[in-house]
Amino acid sequence: MEKKLSSVAKSFTPSPIQELSHFAQRCNAINLAEGFPDFPAPIHLKIAAVSAINSDFNQYRHVQGICEHLARTTKEMHGFDVDPQTDIAICCGQTEAFAAAVFAVIDPGDEVVLFDPSYETYEGCIRMAGGIPVYVGLEPPYWSLDSDKFMGSFTRRTKAVILNSPQNPTGKVFTKDELEIIAGACCRRDCLAITDEVYEHLTYENIKHKSLASLPGMQERTIITSSLSKTFSVTGWRIGWAIAPAFFASAIRNIHVKLTDSAPAPFQEAALTALRSPPDYYESLRRGYESKRDYLVELLAKIGFQIQFKPQGSFFLFAELPKNSSLSDVEYVKELIEQAGVVAVPGCGFFHTNLSSEKPSQVSCNYQKRYIRFAFCKSDATLAAAAQKLGELQLGVSSQ
Amino acid sequence: MQSQCTWTQPRMPTPLCFKSSTLLTFSISKHLHTKSFDSLASRKGISYYPFLMATLSTPSTTEKDAVSFQSESTQKTQQPLQVAKRLERFKTTIFTQMSSLAIKHGAINLGQGFPNFDGPEFVKEAAIQAIRDGKNQYARGYGVPEFNSAIAGRFKKDTGLVVDPEKEVTVTSGCTEAIAATMLGLINPGDEVILFAPFYDSYEATLSMAGAKIKCITLRPPDFAVPINELTSAISKNTRAILINTPHNPTGKMFTRDELNTIASLCIENDVLVFTDEVYDKLAFEMDHISMASLPGMYERTVTMNSLGKTFSLTGWKIGWAIAPPHLTWGVRQAHAFLTFATSTPMQWAASVALRAPDSYYVELKRDYMAKKAILVEGLKAVGFKVFPSSGTYFVVVDHTPFGLENDIAFCEYLIKEVGVVAIPTSVFYLNPEDGKNLVRFTFCKDEETLRTAVERMKEKLKRN
Repeated sequence: MEKKLSSVAKSFTPSPIQELSHFAQRCNAINLAEGFPDFPAPIHLKIAAVSAINSDFNQYRHVQGICEHLARTTKEMHGFDVDPQTDIAICCGQTEAFAAAVFAVIDPGDEVVLFDPSYETYEGCIRMAGGIPVYVGLEPPYWSLDSDKFMGSFTRRTKAVILNSPQNPTGKVFTKDELEIIAGACCRRDCLAITDEVYEHLTYENIKHKSLASLPGMQERTIITSSLSKTFSVTGWRIGWAIAPAFFASAIRNIHVKLTDSAPAPFQEAALTALRSPPDYYESLRRGYESKRDYLVELLAKIGFQIQFKPQGSFFLFAELPKNSSLSDVEYVKELIEQAGVVAVPGCGFFHTNLSSEKPSQVSCNYQKRYIRFAFCKSDATLAAAAQKLGELQLGVSSQ
Repeated sequence: MQSQCTWTQPRMPTPLCFKSSTLLTFSISKHLHTKSFDSLASRKGISYYPFLMATLSTPSTTEKDAVSFQSESTQKTQQPLQVAKRLERFKTTIFTQMSSLAIKHGAINLGQGFPNFDGPEFVKEAAIQAIRDGKNQYARGYGVPEFNSAIAGRFKKDTGLVVDPEKEVTVTSGCTEAIAATMLGLINPGDEVILFAPFYDSYEATLSMAGAKIKCITLRPPDFAVPINELTSAISKNTRAILINTPHNPTGKMFTRDELNTIASLCIENDVLVFTDEVYDKLAFEMDHISMASLPGMYERTVTMNSLGKTFSLTGWKIGWAIAPPHLTWGVRQAHAFLTFATSTPMQWAASVALRAPDSYYVELKRDYMAKKAILVEGLKAVGFKVFPSSGTYFVVVDHTPFGLENDIAFCEYLIKEVGVVAIPTSVFYLNPEDGKNLVRFTFCKDEETLRTAVERMKEKLKRN
């Protein structure tokens, strides 16, 4: 019966992140792997959701007010106008918005440029739609974009570029220069861009997130995807959206309707409350996460990590293994679980071997097994407990 | 060829229409050379649909050159960039159109299939409690363990089958997503899938996304029985899967044991998968609901899909599931992971409470709906419609021709504007819209007063020709 699986499904492997999480759970380890908070969601949001359920907002619906808010915040943050009536599709999380966007524009055989390392889901979606992922490696340790390498990845078949910024797993925020390189290529080649901006409000050291769509010539060819999940610590509510020119937004909306029909109704209502949050909310969110980031950097330094690149955004830290450790990322993570009871994600899962215009060689790709991703979207208590456990372990690990 | 263009959105640029007719020619000429196309097309009642996506999955060089030439020319004329060819099959849904028209005219909406009353308190309370208890982060991708167990428990009660909640149950954002994940996870481009028309509109759309070749068998009034001869000719070793919706939207038909047995033996003989959509299983009035998976030899090849929405009047929560043996569940889960990744967490907790509801809940649900059905059906008959028997769901299909309108869409527009009631034209549920032009669908998932008022309006203003 195994032959009954579609060829696409057969090519998928289980998520290494989820598997490690199960292992960690069995060991009762402190989970700094999966990217969701272990602290409560904001009270004003929970109240709004409860109120929505009680007020019978429980049938299929589309809450247009969300679009009005998003149009306003897009203008405030990025300076361009979108029409709330036509340019926005509400979906079940950024995941579904992205899937719908890919199905809306990618035909079998279309090439899609992605950056390496990257979140594992993009490739899966692209392949489901019959597209061909083409990876452009970002250069460690600062994960910078090499313009020649990037331009060299385009062919006649390139349809779109995927941009996740602030980025998972590296925490990189693409610079203005880098955005201009990407925008320039898209405009010259008449390509599309699909962005994942879920960490848009988590940026540090006064760095501001700038949407690719705000660059000249880009609004007409960019599909922005984002969600409530990370900004409001409600990853389980499944409220996301796509913002794009009406032509694309309409296609995405139609696909969304066929994929899931509607995003959960009471949480759409609660989204109105979320999106009305005052500037204070975002400020304290940013400050809180920045101090967690600094705490994590410090505690990792104590056990031998040399953090060359502090994350500029997101709630992930992509740490290179201590120089004196000869372990691979997977081995090191296993050690961390077994010896210290702390879980992180081996970085190899975020790298892809078919880097464009590069011959895969042992030396140039060795770094792909030398990074671990830590999540710091955890309560202070969790981080302190992690610090304590790792502190006890200090000698054991760094002598490997 | 012309008809392809009319299915696209009004705002589609002309280059897209031009491209689609070129490619349709390509795919038809390719198939005229095969014997099978000729023999199938000549049989009455089956529409053989050589879907575009199937031939596009391995584009020839000439075809690709044609495509790139198009995009170069669009660059120069500054047309918007092309959306995917699969979207030629997608149109704004009729439900949205009718709903807007309804609001404009203050019409009573017996069109869209969701209740105007709310779900039970005990389920809503459970969701509220879950939110307050902090269950607001990502659930396990294939479902909160407690919910998976509740689903398995309910399935055992309903069918007698014992399934492993960890390996054989997948939670999705509504049954709609279960269907999408099943199609995308288990269907290859070019695979043949059999559908019964009329059908819920997402089936066709997601099959097109998976690149399937759709073979359609039409169910006809008055009893919408399965035409066994047509089915036997349609199904072959080339068939990958057959999709069954029972109780059936829009007709209310329930597949009988005989029908299911016949389909089962054909599937076993030809090694065909079965995907069942059973969201209305608790709204079974005239006969018992039968799950295909419970028939001998069928569990190993069936994906059984269901949801919370219809049974618990919470259609907006988007909680659904797929039950299948491990090797099929694997495919469903892969696609699901990339479609939505995880399903709403607090609602899953509430749903596990819902599924453990006592038998009295279901008894009362049926009783309430049967009373509503009586009001509507008696009313429609009195008004002068030819009403077809509906065994399950909360839908009833009627023949509108006594009122002298040209087709179902014209009738529904007339009904909204002149009478103030909404029904759904069924032609949207067919591959060939002509097949549905005499029929419209009414729903009775509305409170009794709404139903009575709607019936009164029709008695007053709708006159037979």
